Amino acid sequence: MKKNRLEKLDLDLYSEVLDNGLQVYIVPKDNVNGIYATFTTKFGSAVKEFSKSRSKEMIKVPLGVAHFLEHKMFEQKNGVDPFTFFSERGCDANANTSNYKTTYLFSGANSFEDNLNYLINYVQEPYFTDENVEKEKGIIEQEIKMYEDEPFFKIYDGVIYNSFCVNPIKYPIAGTIDDVYSITKEDLYVCYNTFYHPSNMFLVITGNVDPKETINLIKINQENKDFGENFKIKEKEYDEPNKVFKELEKVKMDIEVRKAGLGYKIDSSKFKMNINDVKSYLSMLFDIKLGSTSMLNEKLKKLDLITNNIDITLVNTDKHILVILIFESENIEECIKLIEEELINLDVPKEAFERKKKVKKSNCIYRSDNIYSINNKIVSNIMNYNEVILDDYKKIDELNIDTLKKITSKIDLSNKTAYIINKS
Amino acid sequence: MKYSKTSTYSYNLHIIKTNKFKTVTVKINFKRKLKKEEITLRNMIINMLCDSTLNYPNKRLMEIQTEELYELYYGGTSYLSGKYNIIGFDVTFLNEEYTEKGMLDKSINFLADIIFNPNIERKSNRTKFNEESFQIAFSNLKNNIMASRENLDNYSRIRMLENMEPNSYISYRGFGYLEDLEKINSENLYKYYISILNSDIIDIFVIGNVNERHIKRIIEQNFSKIKTLKKPSESHFVMPKRPRLFPKVIKEKQKINQSKLVIGCKISKMTDFELRYVLNVYSYILGGGPDSKLFKTVREKNSLCYTISSVSQPLNSILTINAGIDKKNFKKTVELIKKEMNDMRKNKFSNDDIIKAKITYVNSLKELEDNPQSLLSLYAGIEYLKSDDLEYRFNKINKVTHEDVVKLANKIHIDTIYLLEGESDEEK
Repeated sequence: MKKNRLEKLDLDLYSEVLDNGLQVYIVPKDNVNGIYATFTTKFGSAVKEFSKSRSKEMIKVPLGVAHFLEHKMFEQKNGVDPFTFFSERGCDANANTSNYKTTYLFSGANSFEDNLNYLINYVQEPYFTDENVEKEKGIIEQEIKMYEDEPFFKIYDGVIYNSFCVNPIKYPIAGTIDDVYSITKEDLYVCYNTFYHPSNMFLVITGNVDPKETINLIKINQENKDFGENFKIKEKEYDEPNKVFKELEKVKMDIEVRKAGLGYKIDSSKFKMNINDVKSYLSMLFDIKLGSTSMLNEKLKKLDLITNNIDITLVNTDKHILVILIFESENIEECIKLIEEELINLDVPKEAFERKKKVKKSNCIYRSDNIYSINNKIVSNIMNYNEVILDDYKKIDELNIDTLKKITSKIDLSNKTAYIINKS
Repeated sequence: MKYSKTSTYSYNLHIIKTNKFKTVTVKINFKRKLKKEEITLRNMIINMLCDSTLNYPNKRLMEIQTEELYELYYGGTSYLSGKYNIIGFDVTFLNEEYTEKGMLDKSINFLADIIFNPNIERKSNRTKFNEESFQIAFSNLKNNIMASRENLDNYSRIRMLENMEPNSYISYRGFGYLEDLEKINSENLYKYYISILNSDIIDIFVIGNVNERHIKRIIEQNFSKIKTLKKPSESHFVMPKRPRLFPKVIKEKQKINQSKLVIGCKISKMTDFELRYVLNVYSYILGGGPDSKLFKTVREKNSLCYTISSVSQPLNSILTINAGIDKKNFKKTVELIKKEMNDMRKNKFSNDDIIKAKITYVNSLKELEDNPQSLLSLYAGIEYLKSDDLEYRFNKINKVTHEDVVKLANKIHIDTIYLLEGESDEEK
């Protein structure tokens, strides 16, 4: 087990890769009572076609299968529901699915050893039957309908759908109701047997734990389990065009205030940098230009065009970064015009750039107080860089305004989509 | 961790000294008896004071200053606490150890600036808030009141309460009303602001690794403008009217895909022990999480919903049950919920259920100490609701028996059944 210092955060990171390929990360924090453990597979909603090792045959699965699988992992052969197990120990359990990963988790100050063993075991022992798969469909249907009634989710999904042409990131995480009704237990097993191999998964534990005891427990747990040989997974690569799929869509909902989403689709392949680093720069750029400290934000409020800040979110695939702006306004057209005018000149004052770096550093310290945030940082580092960034300050210090200028000189913000919700 | 409370002539200062956090949080609360027509005013005060000050005359300059102060977080909250309305202003910032010397004073000065140095204008003996800033704060509140109908879970809960007991403490909308907003201008809002400083009950909470004497000194320096005479507070707890013999059933239509069911129950004459402890255990077993009776029956066995839960409001002696369903399943879902509640009355739950509820409660108390915001709520609860301290709570919860829960279950009655019905929710 390796021990590394997480610089400036008063924390240590313990890590090890087990023989079966499972990666384990532990950050002890002894001045809290809580413990948080996440068990993640690098499998999410945007995986639709893949092959295993030497097999050339591509396997196709329905949309929404990763999310469906997440629901069904909570079904156990002995009939004991994992929720019951954790609640007997006074702990919380849950799971979530995003575009590229699925995470199972628990938190709580009690019975850590039992909990951790159980988390690993239930995720490693699937039990899907025709009957229990059928039963889940009505539940997921209600989940999808719930999100369809939430205007901000609808915009987000709408912008992504209209930005991408072929990459399955285009579709909602749960799939459509029809997709859900088409899923079979065989689909679940095919995905499970591919993506839930330990070599495609990682465990992150943060909180009041002893790292040595914890790693031993995990090793003993894994020792007697046979997962077969390690294999390589090949996911289909998509020849995603740079152009957005559709430039404008207007829908109606029963709402009080009109809402809009803008999506700027940016080709990141020309930058010869890790796409996540490009994303950091773009996120600073849009924050400085349109965020709470920007002149534009002040102007839009004085003109009574917006009353809440523009929400800025960045999403990426292997090749593209999508910057999503979401806002409410009675005069969406005028807002879009002013936003576009503001984005003609992408120069950023050095003072603002340095101030945002200071903000980023401060946020690292804030995060280090909270076992949930520390855990999330590690998970996202693994997903984005396949390693934990040990010195966040150094990474922030390396952010350089000249690099930002190089990036901004090459991006084309005319490639965009608008999704507008009008009142019905 | 060390707690101290100092009462001055005009406010209480609560200091929770702990080395658990790298942050310091300071919150100042103003409370007064809840009046419906003042709720909107109080929300406007928050919007107005947080939008600008004389030193930072617009929101952009305020935000830049927070970044200069190493990403200080500030904000205002307004909430209804039984018979009282509480508005609070708070800042959270990094301890100087992680930034630079002098930041503690500067950060608290920033909070004081928000509260005592508002962006006002004086014209011929009349004082009012800066008009431009007032308009921004006004539009923002208007937008948020209007958009509140779009949050369907919250909206359906409010509509249920308004049907349960219109015009009472329990059914007021915490974010305010459009008709009251229209009456507010920059001048009468300023008058209301002055009345808050002069007559609200004030509590200041500080959490972090701080030097008590130093904190007391800067608070004294900054908060000397408070002229209010400290008054005794009455109890926050509300006694609702008796439950209806036959529940009121209300359906309202909206163009949505999923229908929202909210069942409102009234709880008659709880003892202090029941409302602080037994109710917690009851609600956890009935609908407290994915291991609860409602979740297992309505969702897992019958696939009728994705979300279902029960939430208790001990302050108002109310329990609500919420679920997102297809409207065609309305009757079936209500019947299943009634059956589960009946089972609770008839002692059809296990000892294990009680143990789980207790251990979950105890664990959540332990984790509460890990977070400055939840610690602050804990001490606010002790001050306002005479809640027990942690040690006492660990003890008390373990005294809850099976019989206690059954006895309470028999005091809980369905009063109002509300369905926000989806028009686009077609039969499959």
